[in-house]
Amino acid sequence: MTDTPLDDLGPVDYLVVEFPAGARNFTGEMAAELLKLVDAGTIRIVDVLILDKNEDGSVDATEFSDIDQLGELQSVEAELAELLAAEDVDHLAAAMEPGSTAGVLIWENLWAAPFASAARRSGGQLIADGRIPIQAIIASIEADDMVGATTQGD
Amino acid sequence: MPLRAARVGRVGVIGHPVAKTAVVAKAVSPGPSPVAKTAVVAAAVTPGPGVRRRRI
Repeated sequence: MTDTPLDDLGPVDYLVVEFPAGARNFTGEMAAELLKLVDAGTIRIVDVLILDKNEDGSVDATEFSDIDQLGELQSVEAELAELLAAEDVDHLAAAMEPGSTAGVLIWENLWAAPFASAARRSGGQLIADGRIPIQAIIASIEADDMVGATTQGD
Repeated sequence: MPLRAARVGRVGVIGHPVAKTAVVAKAVSPGPSPVAKTAVVAAAVTPGPGVRRRRI
């Protein structure tokens, strides 16, 4: 773990990527892209877990370090912070379908840290943040198109 | 395999059960021309001529 002062920390995000049963095609491409982001200093990987949701709804969690042949990801594994607690596993697995496998990734957005620090030093405070789903953009465009079509018909 | 002991008995950081989000690939796919729809979404988040302007 690094000794980063609290004020210099970037925002920490997570994602859960589900691989439905029969749809897994691990070629190493994901690991390569992840390492590019780490090597570029864009992100720092904080924690990783692999979850398997059984048909009965029970969940098996695998530590990153328990995976054979991590390859180049070995260097990432050595820096993990074990941020997730056991109760987080159940919370995250709630989104999974039975029979699926999921990778859980927690990362710090290093790219955002300098801007966030500057904002704090300027007296600003984060009061909202979030992600705009692609689905919401599609819905907005389609709503606009419908309004346009209605207007043209007048 | 069991979780590391350091993860057990701690207060979590997620806080609540996570709801599944709509799968983006499926959301972009419906309709007669999914490729065209993808292009429209890309255009909506890219500055330049022809970009719609907000109405407030």
